[in-house]
Amino acid sequence: MSATEIIDQQALNFFVKNVGAEVASQLEACTRCGLCADACHFYISTGNPEYTPIWKVELLRRAYEQNYTILGKLKTAIGLDKRIDTEDIAHWAVLDFQACTVCKRCSFVCPMGIDIAGLIGKVRAGLTAAHATPPKLMAMTKNQLEKGSPDGSDEAKWAAWFKWGEEQLGKSLPMDVKGADSLVVFTMLELNSFRNNLVHIARIMNAAGEKWTLSLRARDAFNMGTVIGDGAVQKKLAERIVKVAHELGVKRIIVTECGHGYVTLRQAAHNLFGETLPFDVVHITELMGDFVRQGRLKLRKGYFDNEHRITYHDACKIQRIGGNFDSPREILNLIAPSSFVEMNLNREQSFCCGGGGGVRAIPEAYDLRMEAFSLKAAQMREVDATDVVMSCSNCRLQFKEGFEHFRIQGEVKGLVEMVAEAMIE
Amino acid sequence: MTEKTIYESMVERGLSRRDFLKLATLMTAALGLEYSQLPKVVHAMENKPRLPVIWLEFQDCAGCSEALTRSHDPYLTKLLFNDISVDYHETLFAAAGKQAEENKERVMDEYEGQFVLVVEGSIPTRDNGVYCTIGGRSAIDLLEEAASKAMAIISVGTCASFGGLPHANPNPTGAVGVHELVKDKPIIHVPGCPPIPEVITNTIAHVVLLGEIPELDALGRPKAFYGQTVHDRCPRRPFYERGQFAESYDDKGAKAGWCLYKLGCKGPTTYSACATIKWNEGVSFPVQSNHPCLGCTEPDFWDGGGFYKSLAAPPGAEAARGAQAGFASLGGAALAVGSALYARKIKQKAAEEFKAQKKKEA
Amino acid sequence: MDWLEFFRGPMFQIALLVFILGMVYRFLRIVLMGWKKDYSPPRGSAAAGVVKTYVKGLGFLPFLPPKFPGTRHRPLTYIAGGMFHLGLFVVIFLSTPHMEAWRSVLGFGWPTLPTPFIDGFAAMSMIGMIILLSNRIVSPVGRMLTGLGEWLNWIVVFLPLLSGWVLYHHLFGMPYQTIFAIHMFTVDWLLIWIPFSRISHFMTYFITRTMHGAKFGRLGVEP
Repeated sequence: MSATEIIDQQALNFFVKNVGAEVASQLEACTRCGLCADACHFYISTGNPEYTPIWKVELLRRAYEQNYTILGKLKTAIGLDKRIDTEDIAHWAVLDFQACTVCKRCSFVCPMGIDIAGLIGKVRAGLTAAHATPPKLMAMTKNQLEKGSPDGSDEAKWAAWFKWGEEQLGKSLPMDVKGADSLVVFTMLELNSFRNNLVHIARIMNAAGEKWTLSLRARDAFNMGTVIGDGAVQKKLAERIVKVAHELGVKRIIVTECGHGYVTLRQAAHNLFGETLPFDVVHITELMGDFVRQGRLKLRKGYFDNEHRITYHDACKIQRIGGNFDSPREILNLIAPSSFVEMNLNREQSFCCGGGGGVRAIPEAYDLRMEAFSLKAAQMREVDATDVVMSCSNCRLQFKEGFEHFRIQGEVKGLVEMVAEAMIE
Repeated sequence: MTEKTIYESMVERGLSRRDFLKLATLMTAALGLEYSQLPKVVHAMENKPRLPVIWLEFQDCAGCSEALTRSHDPYLTKLLFNDISVDYHETLFAAAGKQAEENKERVMDEYEGQFVLVVEGSIPTRDNGVYCTIGGRSAIDLLEEAASKAMAIISVGTCASFGGLPHANPNPTGAVGVHELVKDKPIIHVPGCPPIPEVITNTIAHVVLLGEIPELDALGRPKAFYGQTVHDRCPRRPFYERGQFAESYDDKGAKAGWCLYKLGCKGPTTYSACATIKWNEGVSFPVQSNHPCLGCTEPDFWDGGGFYKSLAAPPGAEAARGAQAGFASLGGAALAVGSALYARKIKQKAAEEFKAQKKKEA
Repeated sequence: MDWLEFFRGPMFQIALLVFILGMVYRFLRIVLMGWKKDYSPPRGSAAAGVVKTYVKGLGFLPFLPPKFPGTRHRPLTYIAGGMFHLGLFVVIFLSTPHMEAWRSVLGFGWPTLPTPFIDGFAAMSMIGMIILLSNRIVSPVGRMLTGLGEWLNWIVVFLPLLSGWVLYHHLFGMPYQTIFAIHMFTVDWLLIWIPFSRISHFMTYFITRTMHGAKFGRLGVEP
C-alpha cells in the first residue's frame, strides 16, 4: 500500500468504525430531496450545488453503503459507486471545512429530521484522521495543546490580561477560589479582540452578588478538538477545565462569548468522560437572563433606545442548538424596547454569520464566508437595522469583517457590554 | 333443407312486406348496428340464403340452451326457430340417436363451409378425451370434424368460451374452451353462465343473417354486448362513487340498494350487458336483486378468490396473513441479527486497523 | 391462471412476504448497529420534543404554514412533496378498494372517502411527483443528488398511481382485466422494491424523526 492509500484507508476505517444506529438510520432515511440546500447560507449565497449539506456527507454515505449494505457492495462492484480515494478526500476537505460552519440550520430543515450537521461533524473527524484538515486548523490545534490557546497565547499573556482587568476594575479578580459557585471561562477571542469583556463580566458578576472565580489553569473554553473533530484532543482540552471545576468544587461553569466552547462543555464533555459531570454548564447569556429575572441585576429601561434600529443575531451554537433564545430578547426588550427589532429569520431559523465552525480561521475561505455574510447583511437591511447585537465573539468578528468588506455603516455590539453599560450598580 | 331466403320463407307464411321491414328494423337494432345499416340487413334478408346451424353440446349443463329457450324477443326467437334452420341440437331436437347423428353428418357435408357451428360446453382433453363422448366418439374428435367444415364457430357459454366450471382448478378432465383446439376458424365467444338469452339469439342471428362476424373485443366477444362492464352501467353505480356500500345482506345499506362492492361484486371487471338488457323480459339482473355480480362472463371466474370476497382484496394477501407473515418477520429478524453480528465484525476490524495505523504514525 | 389472477394471487403473496421480511430486516439491522448513551444532562423533555417534532412535521404537508419561509427553491419542493405524500396517503388508506385490500391483510376495515375525492388526491399526488421529478432534472442540486436509484424509485412509485388512475378512468380502451393486472403488477413490484430502496424512508422516517425530536428536545431547543 502506498502512503496515500494508507491515508485513504485510515479515513475509511474511521468512518466504518464510527457508524452506529444513529448514523445508519440517518443515512438510510435520506431521500436526496435537496431541501437542505436551501437551508445552507453557502449554497444560497453562491448557488454552487456542491454546497448542499447532504452532499458534504457523501464520503460517509459511501463508506457506509460500501461496507455495510449488500446493495452498496453490488453498486461498487459494477462501478455505480466509487471507493473513497485521495482526490475525494482533498475535495471534501474543502467542502466540509471551508464551506460548512456546522451551524445545524440544515438539521432543522430536513423533512426527515436528519441531523445533517452532526453527520458533517463525523466527516470532518474522518478527514482529520486522514490528515486532510486545513493546515491552519492543525497549527491552531498544536498551539492550543502546547500553549493553551489556538493563537499561541500562553499563560503569561492571559495573566497580563487578568492584571489589566484588575487595573480597569480597580479591584482584584477572584482567582482559583475554592467553593465558588461559578467558574468563568473566557476565550482567546476575547483576550485578543474584546478585552473589555473581562471587565464587563466581572462587573456583572459582582453586581449580581455571584460567588465566582477565574482560573489560569482553566482559562480558554476554545476547543480545537471540536472544530477538527478529534475526540482525543477534544477530551484533553476539555479536561483542563473540567479538572479545575472538580478541584474548586464549583456548581457551574460559565462560558462567556464562545459558541462551540459552550456546547463542547455542556454536551460533548459528559460523553467524552462517560459520566454525567456534577456541574452545570451555563452560557453568559442565560446567566444574565437569570440574573435579570431573579432581580439580581437591575437594568436601565430604554437605555439603548435611539434613532437606530438594533437587531439580534442568533448564534448557531448558543441559540440554535443551545436553546438560549429568550434571555437575550428579554434583556433587549428591557434596555432597547423601541429600537430592538427581530430579523425576519430569527431564533432557530436564523442564518449563520458565515464564520463559525473554524471557517473564519481558514484564510482560503475568506471570499466564501464573505459571500455567506452577505445574506446576514441582507437580513439586516430587510428590517432597516443598522446595529446588531450578539453573544458570540466569533460572530462578532465575522460581522466586523463583513461590515468592513461590504462597507456597511453600523455597529456590532456584544450583549455583555450592553448589559454592563445599562446596569445599575 | 332449403335454399330460400328469409324474406321468401316469410312471404310463404303469409307475412307482408311491412312485417318483413319491421322485423328487419328490429333486427338491426337487436344486432347492435346503427340505423344506417338497415339497408344492409334488408338486403341480406332478401338475398342471402339461410345458413344452417349445428349446435353441439359437450361438458355442459344445458343451461345455455335452457336460457336460449327463454329469450323474450319474440321476433328473434321465432326467427331462429322458424326462419333459421337449427339442423342439429341434442337437447331441442326431436330426432334422437343414430337418426340425429346421420342428419348432422348430412348437413355438414351438404353445407360444408357454409353452416354455423354453435358449441356449448367445454371439451375435456385429458386421457384422450374419454371424459365426454357421444356415440362412441370423443368430444375433441367431434369438434374437430365439425369445426373443419364450419364457416364460423360461436362458443356459447363460459364453458365453451373459456373452459368454464369444468376448467376450474384443479380441472380434473383437462377441460378447455373451443379456441384452444380450433385455430383456423373464426370463433365468436358468447360467455356467461348462462349468457343473456337475447345475446345468444342476436349473435347467432347476426352471423346467420349477415354472414359476417360481428365486431369483437380482445377476448373474442361481440363488442355490442360485451363492450361495457356491469359496473359501468350499474344502477347502483352512484352509491359506489359516493362511498355508500352495503356491508352485509341485511343491513341498512343493502335495504337502501347501496353498492355491493364490499360484498364481493365483480361488476367492475365483468364485461356484460346484464345491467342494460337484463333477464326475464328485462325484469331484473343479479345486482338489482341484491346479489353481487359473480363475473360469469370472464375467464376463470371460478378461481377469482371467492364470489363473496371483495374484488380489491388480493387472495394473495389473505394467504400471506398470520403464520406466513410471522415466518417472514422471524426470517427478517434472524437475517438482521446475523447481519448485525457480521457488521459488528466489520466495525471491530476497522477500529483495530485504525488503531494500529495511529500507533504506527505516533 | 391468467395474469391478473397471478399478480393479485401468488405474486402479491410473495411480494407481501418479501416486503415484510425486508422491512423487518431493514429496521432491525439499523437498530442493531449500536447506540451510544448520552450522558449530558437534559435541559428539556425528550418526549415533549418528539411530540413537537411530529406535530411540526405535519407542517411539511401543503396548505399549512411552512416552517422556513424565504429561501429560494423551497416552496415548490415543499409543496410538491406535501402534495405527493398527502395524496398518496389518502389514496392508499382512504379509497374503498385499497381499504378492502388492507382489510384482507389486517383483518379490519375503516370508513373511506367517495371516489371523486380519491380521484382528486390521486391527481394531486401525480402532479406533485411530476413537479418533484422536474425539480430533480432542472435544479442543479437535484441533478447532483439524483442517481439511478432515485430514478427507479420515482418510476416504481409513479406506475401504480398511473395504472390506478387509468384503471379507474378506463383510459385507452384497455380491457379492465389487462389494466387491473398491470396495476397489480406495479403494486407487487413496488412492495418488493421498497425494502431494497430508499422508499423505505417511510419506516426510517420514524427512527430519524424520533431521534431528532428526542435530541433537540433534550437540548431544550425547539425541535
